[in-house]
Amino acid sequence: MELLPQILINALITGSLYALIAVGFSLTYGVLKILNFSHCHLMMAGAYLFYLFFVELEFGIFSSALCTIAASVFLASIVFFLFIRPFEGRSILLPLVSTLGCATILESLVAIFFGVNVKSLSGDWISESIEIGSIFVTPLQLLIISTAIIISVVLAIILQFTPFGRQVRAVAERATAAESVGITPVRVRFTVFSAAVLLTILGGILVGFESNLTPTMGQSFILKAVAASVLGGLGNVWGTLAGSFILGFIENIAVGIDIGGFSLPASYKDSFAFFVILFVLLLRPNGIFSMRRRSV
Amino acid sequence: MEYGIHLCILVCIYLILAQSFNITLGLGRLLNLAHVAGYAIGAYVTAIGTTTGDMGLFTAIIASSFTSGLLSLLLGGIALRLSDDYFAIGTLAFSSIVSALLINCKGVTNGVLGISGIPRPKIADFELLNNSSFLFLVFAITFVCLAIIYILFSGPFGRALRAQGENRSALLALGRDIRLMNTTAFFISSSFAGLAGSLYAYYINYVDPSSFSFSEMTLLLTIVIVGSPGSFWGCIGSTIFLVCIPEPLRFLDIPSYLVGPMRQLLQSVILVLVVWLNRNRLFSLTREV
Repeated sequence: MELLPQILINALITGSLYALIAVGFSLTYGVLKILNFSHCHLMMAGAYLFYLFFVELEFGIFSSALCTIAASVFLASIVFFLFIRPFEGRSILLPLVSTLGCATILESLVAIFFGVNVKSLSGDWISESIEIGSIFVTPLQLLIISTAIIISVVLAIILQFTPFGRQVRAVAERATAAESVGITPVRVRFTVFSAAVLLTILGGILVGFESNLTPTMGQSFILKAVAASVLGGLGNVWGTLAGSFILGFIENIAVGIDIGGFSLPASYKDSFAFFVILFVLLLRPNGIFSMRRRSV
Repeated sequence: MEYGIHLCILVCIYLILAQSFNITLGLGRLLNLAHVAGYAIGAYVTAIGTTTGDMGLFTAIIASSFTSGLLSLLLGGIALRLSDDYFAIGTLAFSSIVSALLINCKGVTNGVLGISGIPRPKIADFELLNNSSFLFLVFAITFVCLAIIYILFSGPFGRALRAQGENRSALLALGRDIRLMNTTAFFISSSFAGLAGSLYAYYINYVDPSSFSFSEMTLLLTIVIVGSPGSFWGCIGSTIFLVCIPEPLRFLDIPSYLVGPMRQLLQSVILVLVVWLNRNRLFSLTREV
Protein backbone atom coordinates (compact mmCIF):
# COMPACT_ATOMS: atom_id res chain seq x y z
CA MET A 1 0.00 0.00 0.00
CA GLU A 2 2.95 2.33 0.45
CA LEU A 3 3.51 1.93 -3.25
CA LEU A 4 0.04 3.17 -4.11
CA PRO A 5 1.04 6.65 -5.42
CA GLN A 6 3.67 5.03 -7.65
CA ILE A 7 1.14 2.49 -8.89
CA LEU A 8 -1.29 5.29 -9.68
CA ILE A 9 1.32 7.20 -11.66
CA ASN A 10 2.25 4.05 -13.56
CA ALA A 11 -1.42 3.51 -14.28
CA LEU A 12 -1.67 7.05 -15.62
CA ILE A 13 1.35 6.50 -17.88
CA THR A 14 0.13 3.15 -19.20
CA GLY A 15 -3.34 4.58 -19.67
CA SER A 16 -1.97 7.52 -21.64
CA LEU A 17 -0.07 5.22 -24.01
CA TYR A 18 -3.12 3.05 -24.51
CA ALA A 19 -5.23 6.18 -25.05
CA LEU A 20 -3.01 7.40 -27.89
CA ILE A 21 -3.14 4.00 -29.55
CA ALA A 22 -6.76 3.07 -28.90
CA VAL A 23 -8.45 6.33 -29.83
CA GLY A 24 -7.39 5.94 -33.47
CA PHE A 25 -8.69 2.37 -33.54
CA SER A 26 -12.02 3.42 -32.10
CA LEU A 27 -12.34 6.39 -34.45
CA THR A 28 -11.59 4.13 -37.43
CA TYR A 29 -14.37 1.81 -36.38
CA GLY A 30 -16.78 4.66 -35.78
CA VAL A 31 -16.24 6.39 -39.12
CA LEU A 32 -15.15 3.62 -41.49
CA LYS A 33 -17.15 0.88 -39.74
CA ILE A 34 -14.30 -1.62 -39.94
CA LEU A 35 -12.12 -3.24 -37.32
CA ASN A 36 -8.68 -2.35 -38.52
CA PHE A 37 -6.58 -5.27 -37.29
CA SER A 38 -3.55 -3.71 -38.93
CA HIS A 39 -3.87 -0.64 -36.68
CA CYS A 40 -1.11 -1.59 -34.26
CA HIS A 41 1.05 -3.03 -37.01
CA LEU A 42 0.90 0.39 -38.65
CA MET A 43 1.99 1.77 -35.29
CA MET A 44 4.90 -0.63 -35.30
CA ALA A 45 5.85 0.22 -38.87
CA GLY A 46 5.72 3.95 -38.17
CA ALA A 47 7.80 3.59 -35.04
CA TYR A 48 10.38 1.62 -37.03
CA LEU A 49 10.38 4.35 -39.69
CA PHE A 50 11.15 6.87 -36.95
CA TYR A 51 13.92 4.54 -35.76
CA LEU A 52 15.25 4.49 -39.31
CA PHE A 53 15.37 8.29 -39.55
CA PHE A 54 16.44 9.06 -35.99
CA VAL A 55 18.87 6.27 -35.13
CA GLU A 56 20.14 4.74 -38.35
CA LEU A 57 20.22 7.79 -40.59
CA GLU A 58 20.86 10.10 -37.63
CA PHE A 59 18.63 12.98 -38.65
CA GLY A 60 17.82 15.40 -35.86
CA ILE A 61 14.66 14.94 -33.88
CA PHE A 62 12.59 17.45 -35.82
CA SER A 63 13.69 16.24 -39.24
CA SER A 64 13.00 12.66 -38.19
CA ALA A 65 9.57 13.66 -36.98
CA LEU A 66 8.74 15.42 -40.26
CA CYS A 67 10.01 12.54 -42.37
CA THR A 68 8.07 10.07 -40.25
CA ILE A 69 4.88 12.11 -40.63
CA ALA A 70 5.32 12.19 -44.41
CA ALA A 71 6.12 8.49 -44.60
CA SER A 72 3.19 7.66 -42.32
CA VAL A 73 0.70 9.56 -44.43
CA PHE A 74 2.07 7.73 -47.46
CA LEU A 75 1.73 4.38 -45.67
CA ALA A 76 -1.80 5.23 -44.51
CA SER A 77 -2.78 6.09 -48.09
CA ILE A 78 -1.47 2.79 -49.42
CA VAL A 79 -3.29 0.83 -46.73
CA PHE A 80 -6.50 2.80 -47.19
CA PHE A 81 -6.67 2.55 -50.96
CA LEU A 82 -5.41 -1.02 -51.32
CA PHE A 83 -6.66 -2.83 -48.25
CA ILE A 84 -9.78 -0.99 -47.10
CA ARG A 85 -11.42 0.99 -49.88
CA PRO A 86 -11.88 -1.88 -52.41
CA PHE A 87 -14.08 -3.75 -49.94
CA GLU A 88 -16.67 -1.16 -49.09
CA GLY A 89 -20.24 -2.27 -49.52
CA ARG A 90 -19.40 -5.95 -49.46
CA SER A 91 -19.35 -8.57 -46.71
CA ILE A 92 -17.87 -7.43 -43.36
CA LEU A 93 -15.52 -10.40 -43.42
CA LEU A 94 -13.54 -8.99 -46.35
CA PRO A 95 -11.97 -5.96 -44.64
CA LEU A 96 -11.35 -8.10 -41.53
CA VAL A 97 -9.39 -10.63 -43.55
CA SER A 98 -7.72 -7.97 -45.64
CA THR A 99 -6.47 -6.01 -42.62
CA LEU A 100 -5.22 -9.23 -41.02
CA GLY A 101 -3.28 -9.87 -44.22
CA CYS A 102 -1.98 -6.30 -44.24
CA ALA A 103 -0.83 -6.69 -40.63
CA THR A 104 1.14 -9.82 -41.46
CA ILE A 105 2.67 -8.19 -44.53
CA LEU A 106 3.84 -5.22 -42.44
CA GLU A 107 5.23 -7.49 -39.75
CA SER A 108 7.21 -9.61 -42.21
CA LEU A 109 8.53 -6.57 -44.11
CA VAL A 110 9.77 -4.99 -40.89
CA ALA A 111 11.32 -8.29 -39.78
CA ILE A 112 13.08 -8.61 -43.14
CA PHE A 113 14.43 -5.05 -43.26
CA PHE A 114 15.17 -4.43 -39.60
CA GLY A 115 15.66 -7.92 -38.22
CA VAL A 116 13.79 -9.58 -35.39
CA ASN A 117 16.02 -8.29 -32.62
CA VAL A 118 14.73 -5.76 -30.15
CA LYS A 119 15.55 -2.16 -31.00
CA SER A 120 15.39 0.76 -28.69
CA LEU A 121 15.01 4.50 -29.05
CA SER A 122 16.80 6.51 -26.47
CA GLY A 123 17.61 10.05 -25.52
CA ASP A 124 19.78 11.21 -22.63
CA TRP A 125 17.60 13.81 -20.94
CA ILE A 126 14.51 11.71 -21.35
CA SER A 127 15.36 8.86 -19.06
CA GLU A 128 16.63 10.50 -15.89
CA SER A 129 14.33 9.89 -12.98
CA ILE A 130 12.93 12.84 -11.09
CA GLU A 131 11.66 12.35 -7.60
CA ILE A 132 8.41 14.12 -6.71
CA GLY A 133 7.36 13.33 -3.17
CA SER A 134 7.34 9.56 -2.93
CA ILE A 135 7.06 8.85 -6.65
CA PHE A 136 9.65 8.53 -9.36
CA VAL A 137 8.92 9.71 -12.89
CA THR A 138 11.04 10.43 -15.91
CA PRO A 139 10.54 13.47 -18.17
CA LEU A 140 9.52 11.02 -20.90
CA GLN A 141 6.69 9.70 -18.79
CA LEU A 142 5.47 13.21 -18.03
CA LEU A 143 5.65 13.88 -21.77
CA ILE A 144 3.50 10.81 -22.43
CA ILE A 145 0.83 11.91 -19.97
CA SER A 146 0.74 15.49 -21.23
CA THR A 147 0.64 14.37 -24.88
CA ALA A 148 -2.35 12.16 -24.19
CA ILE A 149 -4.18 14.98 -22.40
CA ILE A 150 -3.40 17.55 -25.11
CA ILE A 151 -4.39 15.19 -27.93
CA SER A 152 -7.67 14.30 -26.20
CA VAL A 153 -8.57 17.95 -25.72
CA VAL A 154 -7.63 18.88 -29.30
CA LEU A 155 -9.58 15.91 -30.67
CA ALA A 156 -12.62 16.85 -28.61
CA ILE A 157 -12.48 20.44 -29.82
CA ILE A 158 -12.10 19.40 -33.46
CA LEU A 159 -14.89 16.85 -33.34
CA GLN A 160 -17.32 19.07 -31.48
CA PHE A 161 -16.72 22.63 -32.67
CA THR A 162 -15.23 22.63 -36.16
CA PRO A 163 -17.05 22.15 -39.49
CA PHE A 164 -14.80 19.22 -40.29
CA GLY A 165 -15.71 17.63 -36.97
CA ARG A 166 -19.37 17.93 -37.91
CA GLN A 167 -18.65 16.22 -41.21
CA VAL A 168 -16.91 13.39 -39.37
CA ARG A 169 -19.81 12.93 -37.01
CA ALA A 170 -22.25 13.03 -39.91
CA VAL A 171 -20.40 10.34 -41.87
CA ALA A 172 -20.09 8.23 -38.74
CA GLU A 173 -23.78 8.46 -38.10
CA ARG A 174 -25.22 7.97 -41.59
CA ALA A 175 -22.94 8.17 -44.60
CA THR A 176 -25.68 8.24 -47.23
CA ALA A 177 -27.42 11.14 -45.55
CA ALA A 178 -24.11 12.96 -45.29
CA GLU A 179 -23.54 12.41 -48.98
CA SER A 180 -26.90 13.91 -49.81
CA VAL A 181 -25.97 17.16 -48.08
CA GLY A 182 -22.77 17.44 -50.05
CA ILE A 183 -20.14 15.77 -47.88
CA THR A 184 -17.76 13.39 -49.66
CA PRO A 185 -17.56 10.36 -47.39
CA VAL A 186 -14.37 9.02 -48.98
CA ARG A 187 -12.47 12.21 -48.23
CA VAL A 188 -13.68 12.29 -44.64
CA ARG A 189 -12.89 8.62 -44.14
CA PHE A 190 -9.42 9.00 -45.59
CA THR A 191 -8.62 12.02 -43.42
CA VAL A 192 -9.89 10.29 -40.28
CA PHE A 193 -7.93 7.16 -41.15
CA SER A 194 -4.71 9.09 -41.71
CA ALA A 195 -5.20 11.04 -38.49
CA ALA A 196 -5.82 7.81 -36.59
CA VAL A 197 -2.67 6.24 -38.05
CA LEU A 198 -0.59 9.33 -37.23
CA LEU A 199 -1.85 9.36 -33.64
CA THR A 200 -1.09 5.73 -33.14
CA ILE A 201 2.36 6.09 -34.66
CA LEU A 202 3.02 8.89 -32.17
CA GLY A 203 2.01 6.43 -29.48
CA GLY A 204 4.32 3.85 -31.00
CA ILE A 205 7.29 6.21 -30.99
CA LEU A 206 6.68 6.99 -27.32
CA VAL A 207 6.51 3.25 -26.62
CA GLY A 208 9.82 2.93 -28.44
CA PHE A 209 11.39 5.50 -26.13
CA GLU A 210 9.73 4.11 -23.03
CA SER A 211 10.50 0.44 -23.63
CA ASN A 212 11.56 -1.02 -26.96
CA LEU A 213 10.58 -1.91 -30.51
CA THR A 214 10.04 -5.41 -31.83
CA PRO A 215 8.24 -6.52 -35.00
CA THR A 216 5.70 -8.41 -32.88
CA MET A 217 4.64 -5.42 -30.81
CA GLY A 218 1.69 -4.96 -33.15
CA GLN A 219 0.26 -8.25 -31.99
CA SER A 220 0.50 -7.34 -28.31
CA PHE A 221 -0.86 -3.83 -28.59
CA ILE A 222 -3.84 -4.61 -30.82
CA LEU A 223 -5.47 -6.42 -27.94
CA LYS A 224 -4.92 -3.47 -25.62
CA ALA A 225 -6.43 -1.15 -28.23
CA VAL A 226 -9.38 -3.49 -28.71
CA ALA A 227 -9.87 -3.86 -24.96
CA ALA A 228 -9.82 -0.13 -24.34
CA SER A 229 -12.19 0.53 -27.26
CA VAL A 230 -14.63 -2.23 -26.40
CA LEU A 231 -14.63 -1.15 -22.77
CA GLY A 232 -15.51 2.41 -23.65
CA GLY A 233 -17.66 1.60 -26.63
CA LEU A 234 -16.32 1.20 -30.16
CA GLY A 235 -16.62 4.48 -32.00
CA ASN A 236 -17.07 6.48 -28.82
CA VAL A 237 -13.98 8.70 -28.46
CA TRP A 238 -14.53 9.82 -24.88
CA GLY A 239 -15.47 6.28 -23.90
CA THR A 240 -12.29 4.90 -25.43
CA LEU A 241 -10.17 7.47 -23.62
CA ALA A 242 -11.82 6.55 -20.34
CA GLY A 243 -11.51 2.87 -21.19
CA SER A 244 -7.76 3.22 -21.81
CA PHE A 245 -7.17 4.75 -18.40
CA ILE A 246 -9.39 2.18 -16.72
CA LEU A 247 -7.44 -0.58 -18.44
CA GLY A 248 -4.12 0.96 -17.38
CA PHE A 249 -5.48 1.22 -13.86
CA ILE A 250 -6.68 -2.41 -13.76
CA GLU A 251 -3.38 -3.74 -15.07
CA ASN A 252 -1.19 -1.84 -12.66
CA ILE A 253 -3.35 -2.33 -9.58
CA ALA A 254 -3.82 -6.04 -10.20
CA VAL A 255 -0.11 -6.82 -10.31
CA GLY A 256 0.79 -4.15 -7.76
CA ILE A 257 -1.39 -5.04 -4.80
CA ASP A 258 -0.27 -7.42 -2.16
CA ILE A 259 -3.12 -8.98 -0.18
CA GLY A 260 -1.69 -10.79 2.82
CA GLY A 261 1.39 -11.96 0.97
CA PHE A 262 -0.42 -13.19 -2.13
CA SER A 263 0.31 -11.25 -5.29
CA LEU A 264 -0.03 -11.95 -8.96
CA PRO A 265 3.16 -12.52 -10.92
CA ALA A 266 3.88 -9.61 -13.24
CA SER A 267 3.73 -11.87 -16.27
CA TYR A 268 -0.05 -11.92 -15.94
CA LYS A 269 -0.19 -8.17 -16.50
CA ASP A 270 -1.03 -8.40 -20.16
CA SER A 271 -3.73 -11.03 -19.69
CA PHE A 272 -6.10 -8.60 -18.03
CA ALA A 273 -6.91 -6.92 -21.29
CA PHE A 274 -8.17 -10.23 -22.68
CA PHE A 275 -10.37 -10.91 -19.69
CA VAL A 276 -11.67 -7.35 -19.81
CA ILE A 277 -12.70 -7.86 -23.44
CA LEU A 278 -14.58 -11.08 -22.75
CA PHE A 279 -16.18 -9.68 -19.63
CA VAL A 280 -17.42 -6.57 -21.40
CA LEU A 281 -18.68 -8.58 -24.37
CA LEU A 282 -20.64 -10.81 -22.03
CA LEU A 283 -22.27 -8.08 -20.01
CA ARG A 284 -22.25 -4.79 -21.91
CA PRO A 285 -21.21 -5.40 -25.52
CA ASN A 286 -21.77 -1.79 -26.48
CA GLY A 287 -19.30 -0.59 -23.91
CA ILE A 288 -19.85 0.48 -20.34
CA PHE A 289 -20.52 4.08 -21.31
CA SER A 290 -23.17 3.31 -23.87
CA MET A 291 -26.83 3.78 -23.14
CA ARG A 292 -27.80 1.42 -25.90
CA ARG A 293 -28.93 -2.04 -24.99
CA ARG A 294 -29.07 -3.05 -28.63
CA SER A 295 -27.99 -6.64 -29.21
CA VAL A 296 -24.58 -6.89 -30.75
CA MET B 1 13.16 -38.82 -49.71
CA GLU B 2 13.18 -37.94 -46.02
CA TYR B 3 12.33 -34.39 -46.97
CA GLY B 4 9.43 -35.59 -49.10
CA ILE B 5 8.07 -37.65 -46.21
CA HIS B 6 8.40 -34.61 -43.94
CA LEU B 7 6.42 -32.47 -46.36
CA CYS B 8 3.71 -35.12 -46.71
CA ILE B 9 3.27 -35.41 -42.96
CA LEU B 10 3.07 -31.63 -42.65
CA VAL B 11 0.54 -31.43 -45.48
CA CYS B 12 -1.63 -34.09 -43.82
CA ILE B 13 -1.63 -32.26 -40.47
CA TYR B 14 -2.50 -28.98 -42.17
CA LEU B 15 -5.22 -30.71 -44.20
CA ILE B 16 -7.06 -31.66 -41.02
CA LEU B 17 -6.47 -28.23 -39.52
CA ALA B 18 -7.55 -26.31 -42.61
CA GLN B 19 -10.60 -28.40 -43.44
CA SER B 20 -11.88 -28.00 -39.90
CA PHE B 21 -11.36 -24.25 -40.20
CA ASN B 22 -13.23 -24.48 -43.49
CA ILE B 23 -16.26 -25.78 -41.58
CA THR B 24 -16.59 -22.65 -39.45
CA LEU B 25 -15.29 -20.02 -41.88
CA GLY B 26 -16.22 -21.53 -45.21
CA LEU B 27 -19.63 -22.94 -44.46
CA GLY B 28 -20.74 -20.95 -41.45
CA ARG B 29 -18.91 -17.69 -42.27
CA LEU B 30 -17.82 -17.46 -38.64
CA LEU B 31 -14.33 -16.00 -38.42
CA ASN B 32 -13.09 -18.09 -35.51
CA LEU B 33 -9.72 -16.57 -34.69
CA ALA B 34 -9.32 -19.02 -31.80
CA HIS B 35 -8.94 -22.04 -34.06
CA VAL B 36 -5.20 -22.15 -33.48
CA ALA B 37 -5.93 -22.17 -29.74
CA GLY B 38 -7.72 -25.50 -30.24
CA TYR B 39 -4.68 -26.74 -32.17
CA ALA B 40 -2.38 -25.63 -29.35
CA ILE B 41 -4.51 -27.24 -26.65
CA GLY B 42 -4.57 -30.55 -28.51
CA ALA B 43 -0.81 -30.48 -28.90
CA TYR B 44 -0.22 -29.66 -25.23
CA VAL B 45 -2.68 -32.30 -23.96
CA THR B 46 -0.83 -34.95 -25.94
CA ALA B 47 2.52 -33.56 -24.83
CA ILE B 48 1.61 -33.58 -21.14
CA GLY B 49 -0.20 -36.89 -21.38
CA THR B 50 2.67 -38.75 -22.98
CA THR B 51 5.54 -37.18 -21.05
CA THR B 52 4.17 -37.10 -17.51
CA GLY B 53 1.52 -39.81 -17.90
CA ASP B 54 1.79 -42.77 -20.17
CA MET B 55 -0.97 -42.35 -22.70
CA GLY B 56 -1.37 -44.70 -25.60
CA LEU B 57 -2.02 -43.35 -29.07
CA PHE B 58 -5.79 -43.52 -29.14
CA THR B 59 -6.20 -42.20 -25.60
CA ALA B 60 -4.04 -39.21 -26.44
CA ILE B 61 -5.84 -38.42 -29.67
CA ILE B 62 -9.27 -38.72 -28.11
CA ALA B 63 -8.23 -36.70 -25.04
CA SER B 64 -6.76 -33.94 -27.22
CA SER B 65 -9.81 -33.68 -29.46
CA PHE B 66 -12.20 -33.78 -26.55
CA THR B 67 -10.36 -31.09 -24.55
CA SER B 68 -10.27 -28.77 -27.56
CA GLY B 69 -13.93 -29.42 -28.17
CA LEU B 70 -14.85 -28.66 -24.56
CA LEU B 71 -12.96 -25.40 -24.63
CA SER B 72 -14.68 -24.43 -27.85
CA LEU B 73 -18.01 -24.91 -26.09
CA LEU B 74 -16.84 -22.36 -23.54
CA LEU B 75 -15.80 -19.98 -26.29
CA GLY B 76 -19.01 -20.56 -28.21
CA GLY B 77 -21.07 -19.74 -25.15
CA ILE B 78 -19.58 -16.26 -25.07
CA ALA B 79 -18.91 -15.56 -28.72
CA LEU B 80 -21.82 -17.08 -30.64
CA ARG B 81 -24.30 -14.53 -29.38
CA LEU B 82 -22.25 -11.71 -30.92
CA SER B 83 -22.36 -10.37 -34.46
CA ASP B 84 -19.50 -10.43 -36.95
CA ASP B 85 -17.18 -7.69 -35.70
CA TYR B 86 -17.58 -8.46 -32.01
CA PHE B 87 -17.36 -12.18 -32.72
CA ALA B 88 -13.92 -11.71 -34.25
CA ILE B 89 -12.85 -9.65 -31.21
CA GLY B 90 -14.19 -12.26 -28.77
CA THR B 91 -12.41 -15.15 -30.47
CA LEU B 92 -9.20 -13.13 -30.71
CA ALA B 93 -9.36 -12.40 -26.99
CA PHE B 94 -10.00 -16.07 -26.20
CA SER B 95 -7.09 -17.11 -28.34
CA SER B 96 -4.82 -14.69 -26.48
CA ILE B 97 -6.03 -15.96 -23.10
CA VAL B 98 -5.13 -19.51 -24.09
CA SER B 99 -1.76 -18.30 -25.31
CA ALA B 100 -1.12 -16.36 -22.09
CA LEU B 101 -2.12 -19.36 -19.97
CA LEU B 102 0.23 -21.62 -21.92
CA ILE B 103 3.08 -19.19 -21.29
CA ASN B 104 2.30 -18.47 -17.63
CA CYS B 105 1.21 -21.80 -16.14
CA LYS B 106 4.79 -22.94 -15.86
CA GLY B 107 4.03 -25.86 -13.59
CA VAL B 108 1.90 -27.55 -16.19
CA THR B 109 3.15 -26.30 -19.51
CA ASN B 110 6.75 -25.40 -18.74
CA GLY B 111 6.16 -21.85 -20.01
CA VAL B 112 8.11 -20.59 -22.98
CA LEU B 113 10.56 -23.45 -22.75
CA GLY B 114 7.93 -25.85 -23.94
CA ILE B 115 7.66 -29.57 -23.46
CA SER B 116 10.22 -31.71 -25.23
CA GLY B 117 10.90 -35.38 -25.54
CA ILE B 118 7.41 -36.37 -26.59
CA PRO B 119 7.73 -40.02 -27.60
CA ARG B 120 6.50 -41.33 -30.90
CA PRO B 121 3.14 -43.08 -30.63
CA LYS B 122 2.86 -46.66 -29.51
CA ILE B 123 0.22 -48.98 -30.87
CA ALA B 124 0.14 -52.04 -28.61
CA ASP B 125 3.80 -51.78 -27.64
CA PHE B 126 4.96 -51.22 -31.21
CA GLU B 127 6.64 -47.82 -31.40
CA LEU B 128 6.50 -46.00 -34.71
CA LEU B 129 10.00 -44.71 -34.63
CA ASN B 130 10.87 -43.84 -38.16
CA ASN B 131 9.18 -41.28 -40.29
CA SER B 132 7.80 -43.61 -42.99
CA SER B 133 5.74 -45.65 -40.56
CA PHE B 134 4.59 -42.42 -38.92
CA LEU B 135 3.57 -41.18 -42.35
CA PHE B 136 1.36 -44.24 -42.84
CA LEU B 137 -0.34 -43.61 -39.52
CA VAL B 138 -0.86 -39.90 -40.22
CA PHE B 139 -2.11 -40.65 -43.70
CA ALA B 140 -4.66 -43.14 -42.39
CA ILE B 141 -5.88 -40.76 -39.70
CA THR B 142 -6.09 -37.86 -42.18
CA PHE B 143 -8.05 -40.01 -44.62
CA VAL B 144 -10.61 -40.92 -41.97
CA CYS B 145 -10.92 -37.28 -40.80
CA LEU B 146 -11.34 -35.93 -44.28
CA ALA B 147 -13.95 -38.57 -45.04
CA ILE B 148 -15.93 -37.53 -41.98
CA ILE B 149 -15.60 -33.87 -42.93
CA TYR B 150 -16.68 -34.61 -46.49
CA ILE B 151 -19.80 -36.36 -45.23
CA LEU B 152 -20.44 -33.31 -43.05
CA PHE B 153 -20.00 -30.93 -45.98
CA SER B 154 -22.30 -32.75 -48.34
CA GLY B 155 -24.93 -33.85 -45.86
CA PRO B 156 -27.86 -31.98 -44.34
CA PHE B 157 -25.78 -30.45 -41.55
CA GLY B 158 -23.38 -28.90 -44.05
CA ARG B 159 -26.23 -27.56 -46.15
CA ALA B 160 -27.89 -25.98 -43.14
CA LEU B 161 -24.63 -24.46 -41.95
CA ARG B 162 -23.97 -23.04 -45.40
CA ALA B 163 -27.47 -21.58 -45.45
CA GLN B 164 -26.84 -20.03 -42.04
CA GLY B 165 -23.71 -18.40 -43.36
CA GLU B 166 -25.41 -16.95 -46.40
CA ASN B 167 -28.59 -15.70 -44.81
CA ARG B 168 -29.00 -16.11 -41.10
CA SER B 169 -32.47 -14.63 -40.79
CA ALA B 170 -33.87 -16.77 -43.59
CA LEU B 171 -32.75 -19.88 -41.77
CA LEU B 172 -34.22 -18.62 -38.52
CA ALA B 173 -37.49 -18.08 -40.35
CA LEU B 174 -37.37 -21.72 -41.45
CA GLY B 175 -37.29 -22.72 -37.81
CA ARG B 176 -33.74 -24.06 -37.46
CA ASP B 177 -31.98 -23.71 -34.12
CA ILE B 178 -29.04 -21.60 -35.22
CA ARG B 179 -27.32 -21.46 -31.84
CA LEU B 180 -27.27 -25.25 -31.51
CA MET B 181 -26.04 -25.66 -35.08
CA ASN B 182 -23.24 -23.16 -34.67
CA THR B 183 -22.20 -24.65 -31.34
CA THR B 184 -22.05 -28.12 -32.91
CA ALA B 185 -20.02 -26.81 -35.83
CA PHE B 186 -17.63 -25.14 -33.38
CA PHE B 187 -17.28 -28.33 -31.36
CA ILE B 188 -16.56 -30.48 -34.40
CA SER B 189 -14.16 -27.94 -35.87
CA SER B 190 -12.21 -27.55 -32.62
CA SER B 191 -12.06 -31.29 -32.02
CA PHE B 192 -10.42 -31.81 -35.38
CA ALA B 193 -8.03 -28.95 -34.62
CA GLY B 194 -7.13 -30.70 -31.37
CA LEU B 195 -6.56 -33.90 -33.25
CA ALA B 196 -4.24 -32.14 -35.67
CA GLY B 197 -2.40 -30.68 -32.68
CA SER B 198 -1.97 -34.14 -31.23
CA LEU B 199 -0.41 -35.38 -34.48
CA TYR B 200 1.83 -32.31 -34.53
CA ALA B 201 3.08 -33.06 -31.01
CA TYR B 202 3.77 -36.68 -31.93
CA TYR B 203 5.65 -35.68 -35.06
CA ILE B 204 7.80 -32.77 -33.90
CA ASN B 205 8.28 -34.26 -30.41
CA TYR B 206 8.40 -30.73 -28.97
CA VAL B 207 5.71 -28.13 -28.30
CA ASP B 208 6.14 -24.54 -27.24
CA PRO B 209 3.85 -21.49 -27.29
CA SER B 210 5.60 -19.83 -30.22
CA SER B 211 4.54 -22.50 -32.73
CA PHE B 212 0.90 -21.50 -32.24
CA SER B 213 1.08 -17.83 -33.00
CA PHE B 214 -0.85 -15.25 -34.97
CA SER B 215 0.99 -16.23 -38.15
CA GLU B 216 -0.40 -19.78 -38.00
CA MET B 217 -3.83 -18.18 -37.95
CA THR B 218 -3.14 -16.09 -41.03
CA LEU B 219 -1.78 -19.17 -42.80
CA LEU B 220 -5.02 -21.04 -42.12
CA LEU B 221 -7.02 -18.03 -43.24
CA THR B 222 -4.99 -17.89 -46.44
CA ILE B 223 -5.52 -21.59 -47.11
CA VAL B 224 -9.28 -21.44 -46.72
CA ILE B 225 -9.71 -18.25 -48.72
CA VAL B 226 -7.40 -19.25 -51.56
CA GLY B 227 -9.21 -22.57 -51.76
CA SER B 228 -12.59 -20.86 -51.98
CA PRO B 229 -14.34 -20.85 -48.60
CA GLY B 230 -16.82 -23.68 -48.30
CA SER B 231 -15.24 -25.81 -51.00
CA PHE B 232 -13.93 -29.21 -49.81
CA TRP B 233 -11.67 -29.98 -52.78
CA GLY B 234 -10.53 -26.36 -53.13
CA CYS B 235 -9.29 -26.45 -49.57
CA ILE B 236 -7.31 -29.64 -50.19
CA GLY B 237 -5.66 -28.08 -53.23
CA SER B 238 -4.81 -24.83 -51.51
CA THR B 239 -3.35 -26.62 -48.47
CA ILE B 240 -0.93 -28.54 -50.67
CA PHE B 241 -0.14 -25.37 -52.62
CA LEU B 242 0.42 -23.09 -49.64
CA VAL B 243 2.39 -25.55 -47.51
CA CYS B 244 4.70 -26.42 -50.38
CA ILE B 245 5.13 -23.05 -52.11
CA PRO B 246 7.46 -21.45 -49.51
CA GLU B 247 9.69 -24.53 -49.43
CA PRO B 248 11.94 -23.44 -52.35
CA LEU B 249 12.94 -20.52 -50.08
CA ARG B 250 15.00 -22.99 -48.07
CA PHE B 251 17.22 -23.71 -51.00
CA LEU B 252 17.92 -20.11 -51.92
CA ASP B 253 21.01 -18.41 -50.63
CA ILE B 254 19.42 -16.28 -47.93
CA PRO B 255 20.31 -16.13 -44.25
CA SER B 256 18.25 -18.45 -42.08
CA TYR B 257 16.66 -15.71 -39.98
CA LEU B 258 15.06 -14.33 -43.14
CA VAL B 259 13.35 -17.57 -44.17
CA GLY B 260 10.51 -17.27 -41.63
CA PRO B 261 9.54 -13.66 -42.45
CA MET B 262 9.83 -14.30 -46.18
CA ARG B 263 7.55 -17.30 -45.89
CA GLN B 264 5.07 -15.18 -43.95
CA LEU B 265 5.32 -12.39 -46.52
CA LEU B 266 4.70 -14.76 -49.41
CA GLN B 267 1.66 -16.28 -47.76
CA SER B 268 0.10 -12.97 -46.71
CA VAL B 269 0.68 -11.39 -50.14
CA ILE B 270 -1.08 -14.38 -51.71
CA LEU B 271 -3.94 -13.90 -49.24
CA VAL B 272 -4.40 -10.21 -49.98
CA LEU B 273 -4.05 -10.74 -53.72
CA VAL B 274 -6.68 -13.49 -53.78
CA VAL B 275 -9.05 -11.48 -51.59
CA TRP B 276 -8.61 -8.43 -53.80
CA LEU B 277 -9.08 -10.31 -57.08
CA ASN B 278 -12.12 -12.19 -55.80
CA ARG B 279 -13.69 -9.32 -53.90
CA ASN B 280 -17.00 -9.59 -55.74
CA ARG B 281 -17.44 -13.31 -55.30
CA LEU B 282 -15.92 -13.92 -51.89
CA PHE B 283 -18.45 -14.14 -49.01
CA SER B 284 -20.91 -12.48 -51.33
CA LEU B 285 -24.06 -11.08 -49.84
CA THR B 286 -26.19 -12.54 -52.61
CA ARG B 287 -25.78 -15.72 -54.54
CA GLU B 288 -26.01 -15.98 -58.32
CA VAL B 289 -28.94 -18.16 -59.17
